[in-house]
Parts: sequence; structure tokens; C-alpha cells
Amino acid sequence: MIAYYFKLSLLSLRRNLLLTGLMIAAIGLGIGAAMTTITVNYLMSANPIPHKSEQLFYVQLDSWDPNQPYTEPNEPPDQVTWTEATNLTAAKQAKRQSAIATSNVVIEPERAEQKPFIASVRLAYSDFFPMFDVPFLYGSGWQNSADQDLRRVVVLSKKMNDELFGGEDSVGRNLVMAGTTFQVVGVLDSWELKPKFFDVTTGAFNEMEDVYIPFLLKQAMELPSSGNNNCWKPFEEGGFSAYLGSECINYQMWVQLDSDAEKADYLSFLHSYVEEQKRLGRFPREQNNRLSDVMEWMENQEVVADDARMMMYMALMFLVVCLLNTVALLLAKFIGRTPEIALRRAVGASKRTLFLQHIIESAMLGVAGGILGLAIAWLGLQGVSGLYGEDTRGLAELDLTMAALAVVLAIVSTVLAGIYPTWRTCSVAPAGQLKTQ
Amino acid sequence: MSELGPIFRALLRNKVGALLLALQIAVTMTIMVNAIHMIENRSSLMARPSGLDEANQFYLSSTGYAQDFNEQLVVEEDLRLIRQLPGIVDATQINAIPLSGGGWSMGLSVEPGAEARGSGIAVYFVDDNGMNTLDVELIAGRNFSASEIGYRGRNATEWPQNIIITEAAAKELFPDLSVSEAVGKTVYINNDEPMTIIGIMDQLQAPWVGWSAVERVMLVPQRTLFGSSRYFIRTEPGQRDAMIKATEKLLLDRDVGRLIRNVRTMEETRDDSYRGHQALQTILWVIVTVLTIITALGIVGMVTFSVNRRRKQIGTRRALGATRWQIIRHFLVENALVTSCGLILGVGSSIALNIWLVDVFSLPRVGWHYLPIAMAVLLVVGQLAVLGPARRAAAISPALATRSA
Amino acid sequence: MLKMTNIKKVFRTEVVETHALRDFSLHVKEGDFVAVTGPSGSGKTTFLNVAGLLETFDEGDYLLDGQSVKGMSDNQLARMRNEKIGFIFQSFNLLPDLNLFDNVDVPLRYRGFNAKERKERIVQALETVGLGSRMKHLPAQLSGGQQQRVAIARALAGEPRFLLADEPTGNLDSAMAQSVLELLEDINKAGTTIIMVTHDPILAKRAGRNVFVRDGQVTEVTKEAELDELVQKTAQVGG
Repeated sequence: MIAYYFKLSLLSLRRNLLLTGLMIAAIGLGIGAAMTTITVNYLMSANPIPHKSEQLFYVQLDSWDPNQPYTEPNEPPDQVTWTEATNLTAAKQAKRQSAIATSNVVIEPERAEQKPFIASVRLAYSDFFPMFDVPFLYGSGWQNSADQDLRRVVVLSKKMNDELFGGEDSVGRNLVMAGTTFQVVGVLDSWELKPKFFDVTTGAFNEMEDVYIPFLLKQAMELPSSGNNNCWKPFEEGGFSAYLGSECINYQMWVQLDSDAEKADYLSFLHSYVEEQKRLGRFPREQNNRLSDVMEWMENQEVVADDARMMMYMALMFLVVCLLNTVALLLAKFIGRTPEIALRRAVGASKRTLFLQHIIESAMLGVAGGILGLAIAWLGLQGVSGLYGEDTRGLAELDLTMAALAVVLAIVSTVLAGIYPTWRTCSVAPAGQLKTQ
Repeated sequence: MSELGPIFRALLRNKVGALLLALQIAVTMTIMVNAIHMIENRSSLMARPSGLDEANQFYLSSTGYAQDFNEQLVVEEDLRLIRQLPGIVDATQINAIPLSGGGWSMGLSVEPGAEARGSGIAVYFVDDNGMNTLDVELIAGRNFSASEIGYRGRNATEWPQNIIITEAAAKELFPDLSVSEAVGKTVYINNDEPMTIIGIMDQLQAPWVGWSAVERVMLVPQRTLFGSSRYFIRTEPGQRDAMIKATEKLLLDRDVGRLIRNVRTMEETRDDSYRGHQALQTILWVIVTVLTIITALGIVGMVTFSVNRRRKQIGTRRALGATRWQIIRHFLVENALVTSCGLILGVGSSIALNIWLVDVFSLPRVGWHYLPIAMAVLLVVGQLAVLGPARRAAAISPALATRSA
Repeated sequence: MLKMTNIKKVFRTEVVETHALRDFSLHVKEGDFVAVTGPSGSGKTTFLNVAGLLETFDEGDYLLDGQSVKGMSDNQLARMRNEKIGFIFQSFNLLPDLNLFDNVDVPLRYRGFNAKERKERIVQALETVGLGSRMKHLPAQLSGGQQQRVAIARALAGEPRFLLADEPTGNLDSAMAQSVLELLEDINKAGTTIIMVTHDPILAKRAGRNVFVRDGQVTEVTKEAELDELVQKTAQVGG
């Protein structure tokens, strides 16, 4: 019987190809626009480290100006000072901890034919690699001892290793950076985080760094600061160490805490740490310490761009228009078929079977619209990448979940759109309609 | 002439169909008004003048890596040689590029002390050729002299005596003074370090286009010795691309152990900075256009169905003496009625959505003039969409009236 | 009043040419009540369409109220229909979404009367057919006979020179048919020319003049017996 309904629906849809095409096009465009923007939002708000995001915490302390908060209303700064970065990491009060920062260095490749170039560097502690489950192709992160011993060791990204060492296992090889010889201890496997959650201060979707070296080398080698550097208090004369000792914030602090108890303990540790600093004349503001897990931090930092959200709302309204359009067209179409339905009712078709027949017809439109929508979403995402260029790297790709969602959304919304027209037509009285008209 | 009354009463008998179309028109109008408002809003952001001669400017970075790299000597010689190139108007060292997104800002206050209210201001370190290179005009006071230009190490905390600020910065610091009265005034940086305003320039944008105080800029007469220097270069009109090549060659030929990188024009920088705005505008245009087309096609579809269903009625009307035009007009009036209801609804929902956008995305309020424009556009689109099927309706033979069934 | 001379109307499809009317001539005088009968396919409906200016014809001449309609533009034809002809259809052809008042109003609107005049005419027409109290009703709320009365009111409201009725009682039971027919007779007595197309000889007998159409041509009959004979004859041939 179902096969018969399919045949009837197909016949009905083919009877007026132009209008059928119009309905499919409307659904397809609506679904396509909605899916394009939903995909961008979905990828922006994705959890970059799902298995661990609730154990990783971003640390904020309020070391800011006594006269005004860092941001209204009384938000603590989004980064920490060098003093806190080094003290908190050295305190080892969490299961794992690492302050991180960015810098850049000139790399002078071994091979003579390669010119020196500038690379951005991630400064980190040894805990960084196990804490963020960083994948390694060769070797590993550096030893704990290398942090304090200021060993000149380096971990390279796969891309950088390909460039410098032709993709060979370069562990143990030397590399001259910032005029100093480093030893390669590890090479990462491909590692792309969307968003790059561990440091969103200059953008949540920036490229990953290609070079990782011990954090404390910043001091030893006087490496320049990059990223956002904010100061509220002028610092004393005294060169680089005066700058590091200042109240300028440029560092991100992460800890791994596996349970609520550990989290509570760590918060009380922070409290006593700040008290101690207050006794030293720092931290003029009230205690305002925060631990935010990965997704809380992403929320706090609003990694989903306003424009992307705005576009999604626009596109959803667009979908509403397309669906209203579909309801109206289906209604017009089904009502035009009243005499035929009355005939079917007269020859014994029950309301139920007629309902089924028309819902199947709507669903078939939905399937076609969904497939068209998928194609349009794909085109739309190409367009979005084209328009935004580098900014949307990896944010404009249709994955299987989204593809499935597109088709399901199309079918569900068309069936919903078909319910009222179907109900209207099926309530036609069997006789009556036969006589007039 | 009109048949408004009967058409309206007949429409009330088919409420749902009419209501659906009216709703569709209302939502379409809502999107249209707010999208065009957003587009206009972004356009006006992009239209703000930067104060630069963007078409004829480019910049590059020079980063020393050799152990014996003497930044001070290299920069001075580089700039001297660049300025001598035919086709170059002027060149300066600068720490940050307007519109580029990366730069330095400080707080300035008119009173000394940590409690004084500070105003954020963007900082450009330039030399005495800075103003000419940037193409900004002095409107009061004087430019830096060559002898005033100092050097600034990476960890320097001191500030030089004299600065030049934009008119917008002067208005912020001294709201009650005229531009020329602000010249000679003292302002404080780092709480209590005094600086004197020696000149006011007309207009220059900060590096951050999204900053609310993008017009507040100060020029500081120092050359930075940060290991990596930026040269900002202005060329004769039409010479930019040739000068980029010439300058790169000049600098690369000087073998002093440094890298030249990040060679970019101001036009590229503007495109990059506003790429998000531009992209949003394009996307919104596409949405509005496609939406209008869908609504139009939807009307075509609905009227077609309606004509098909009412063939006999139309034939009867023709038999009773309706001319073709009167049949067409019937559908036009019918559509105009439904569309108008939708548009009235749309005025309300457009304003409601705007209020929400103002709330959530701090967008400015929509200008009232968008409403009548959107209404007129949708009304015309609706009428044009009806025209096709209405003409087919008018072609229905009056003889249909006598055909049974 | 109405004068058709040697009218020819041919329907062409790719394969066949059907002569719906050939050398069709008829003259109807002012105040006549003419019944046009004939078997199915005889050309009755085509005659009706041509007479009512709903269709054009190929050859011959047609004078309506002294004016030749040949070569008239579509707009002129519409105007003629509107001003001179009142239509009554077999299936009433009321507009289902309009109430009685608005239904009768339709041709008056096209005529361009002002609101006051339209209202007077509508009320009067509906009262003439005995439905003056039901102006706000929709057609679906009425019986078939009542609906046809509304259609007659609509046809009368514009004070046409003649009424063209197409099987006016075809969809009605005999009692209702009877009363509709009486109404038409009253209208005719009041001076309006009526041409009624019907296949029902009993109905036709009540008309003042009978015209029998066969194979697209007219056979004028004057005696009831002749009509009966003709109807009987053709009933065996046609359907």
C-alpha cells in the first residue's frame, strides 16, 4: 500500500513540475542557507578536547588596577603576569600545570639553501604536552627537569619538521634559533585545534604554533613578547627583568584538576597565594580568583563570533520564510485537489490513508529539498571560505553529522509544513464536493 | 474603480492561505530591513577615512638576526636610501600600522596621579618624516624637528617631551578648548610623566578598526630599537607596485644580516581588516536577494494554484463582462491587500527584531526610512510576481462559464 | 434585437475539423422568449457561446441590438456582454467566496456604476427574485433553486436587453425548476427578451417560440407536435 502512495505522490509531484520544482527550490535554499550558517556556528562552538575539557581549567587572578576593573563588571584579567605564571607553575599544586605564552624567533636552518626566517614560538612547561594530549610523531616533550635547567630543547610541529628536516625523525638533531643552538626532542603529529582553546587572546581560530620551547627561556634569552600585552602600572627602569617583574599580563595559565575536590583545593591554594602576594604589596583589588573549564572559558571569551551568530539567526528566519512558502504552496496545491479527494473518499478511502498519502508527498518534497539543501550548503560554505579567506580555515567544512542534520531538518520541516494543508484537505466531506464546482 | 470590499471579504473566507502569505511577507520584510540596516552600518564603518593616502602606501618589516646587526645604523641608512629612490615621496620607521589590528595604546590624562581619569590613545612612534609619509595634515602647532627624534629601547619606560595628537584626541582630552588652544598643553602618561602637545593633526586612525576610539592617535618622536623595524613608505601616485620591487631590491642588496618580510600595501591591509565586514555584507545581500526571489516565486506559485482552482469563476467573471485588465487587476488588488497586511505586521516585527539585535549585539537602532523603502520594494515585487499568472488568468476564455463541471 | 446570418464556426484539432455551426441563421425580436433545443453535439452550446459573445465565429454576420459584433475587440465584447446580456448558467456559477450581495454586485462593478446606484439595483434585483432578506448569505447556504434565483438576480441587475439562459433548470428538481421557469416567464412579460437553451422539450414548449438545432443548423418549429417529433427522432440517433 505504501508503494501505492509513493506512486501517487510521484504522479502528483510530476503533474506540475514547475511548481514542484519551486517548492523543492524553496526548501533547498532555506535548508542550504540555514545549514551553511549552522555549520559555521557549530564548528566555532565545537569542543576542541571533549574527553578532557572538564578537567582542564584556565586560571584567572585579579592583579589589576585598584581604581578600575579589567573589564566591567569586575572581571579579572584574561591573562596573568610573569610572576604568577612562574610561581603558580612552580608551586605544583595541581595534577598538571603550565603557564604558556607566545614569542617569535629567527630560525637559521641547517641547510644552506634555506634562508633564515621568523617563526612564532609557543613557550610552555613540560606538562603542556601530557595535559593537552599533544600527539607525537617522533620523540616526546621535554623532561620536567629541562624546565628549571633552562635546557635548550625544542619540539617541532610536523609541518616545521617537514620544512627543516624533510620529514625525517629529527630527534637529537640541532637547530639554531635566536642565535642559540637547540636540540630537537620531539616532533608532533598533525595537531589542529578548532578553536585553539589554550590561547584565544589573539583569536580563537589562529594557526597553531610550529615551535615549542621551555617557558623560562623567555627570561634567559630575553625573548620578545607577542600576543596581547596589557599593563596597568608603569614599571621601574631596569631592563628586561624589570619588565618581567612588572604587572603586565601576557601569559595564559592552565591546570589539570581531575575532581571537584582537587578543584576546591586549588581554589583555596589560589586564595592563600593571593593573600601572600597582598602582604608583599601586590594585588590591590579584592580576591577574585576564577577557574574556568575549557567550555566555560570558550563561552567567557565569546569564541563564537557575533557575526556568525547574527548570520545564523538571519538564516533561520530565512528558513522560516521558505517553510511558510512551502505550507502556502502545499495548501494551495492540496486544496486545488479537493474534488479528487472527495472522489477518493467517496470510493472508500479513509481519512487515515489520505493523510498518509499526502504526508508521503510532503516528505518526498523534503527529501528532494534536503538533498538540494546539502548541495547549496556545500556551495555556501565554499562561498563563506572564499569571502573570509584564512579566517575561516577549518570552519567551513560539511561533516557527516551536519549533512545528516540537513536532510533530517529538511524532511521534518517539510512534513510539519505539510500537516496543516494535509489536515485541511482530508477533512473534505466525501459527497458535497462532487456536486458543486 | 476598486473592488476592495468584495475582494477583502472573499479573502476572509480563505484566511489561512492569505495569512501564510502575509506572514511570509512580514518575515521577509523583517529580514530585509534588518539585513540592509546591518549592511549600511558596516558600509559606514568602512567609509570612515583613515587619514592616509592608502592607494600609494606600503610597508615592510626588517628583522636583524646576525650577531653584529646594528639596528640604529641600519635603519638610518635604509631610510636615507629609500627616500632617495625616484618615485618615493617619503618613508618613516613606525611601530604599528594603521588598520592592521596590532599596535600599542596608552592612557593619557590631563591631571597627574594614579587616580586621574585616563583616555586611551593609540601610539605611533615615527620620525620627523612621519606626518608626510602618513599623509596627515597639521592643523595647529608644529611638526617634530629632526633633532627631536630619539631612540627607544625594547624595555624603555620613559617618554619623550613632545607629542602630536589627532584632533579627535584633543577634543577628548580638552573638550572645552579649541584645537589651537590645545597646543602647548601638558598631558600625563604613566600617571605622572608630563608630555607637551606641540601639534594637532587632522585625522589618523588607530590600528584597531573595531575600537570605539579609533580616531584617537598620538605620534611620538622616537625610533624603536626592538630588533625588528617597520618601514612605512609613501610613493608617487601610480608608482606603488614598482616602488615595492625597487625598495625590496634595495634592502636585500644591502647585506647586513636581516630579513625583509611582511611586505604589504595599505590597500591589502584595509581589505584584511574589513574582510569580515565585507563578507557579512555579501552574505546578507545574497540572503536578501534570494529571499526576495523566493517570496516572489512563492507568490507566483500561489497565484498559479489559485488561478487553476478558480478557472470557472474567472470564466464567469469574463462572461459577466469583465475585461482582461479587470481580471488582472483583481489579482493585483488581492495581492496588494494581503501584502499590505504582511507589511504592516512586518513593520512591527522589523522593529522588534532590531530592538533585540540592539540588545544582544549592540547594533545601532534601525533608521525609520528603511521601513517605507522595504514596504515599497516588497509591494512592487509582489505586484510583479502576480502579473504573470494574472495574465494567464485573463486569457481564460469566457466560454468556460458555460462548460459543465 | 439579435440577428445571426450564415454564421459559421469550426473547431480544429490536428486531425479533425468539426463544423459546430454552419450557415446558422436566426432572428430574435424584442420581447421574444425563444427556446433553443437540440440533441447533444448539435451545436446548441456553440450557438449559446456565440450569441453570448463568449466565443467568436469564423464567418457570417451577427447583429446584436443593431450593432455588428464582427471584428470587435476583446474589451468591446466584454462591454457588450456586460451591458446588453444577462447570463443564467446551468450550474449557477455563483462565486462561492462572495455573499449574495457581492455576487449580484459583480457585473455592476464592471459596469462602473457608483456605489449608491449599485446598491439600489442589487437590493431591487434580489427582492425581485424573493431573496431580499438573505443578502449576507453565502451561496453554499442556499438551496439549488435559491442559488439559481440569485444568478437570475445577477443577470437582471444590469437591466440587459436580453437574458441568455443555459439549461437554467438542469441542476434543479422539478418543483424548483417550475418556480425558476415561472420567474423567467414573469421577466419576459416585463419586456426582457429571453433565449433559453435546453434539451428538455417540456420546458421548451412553454416558450413562445421554439428553435431546433441539428448539425449546426436551425430548424424553426412552430407547433408543439413537430417539436415532439423532432426530439423523438433525434433521441434515437444522438445521446
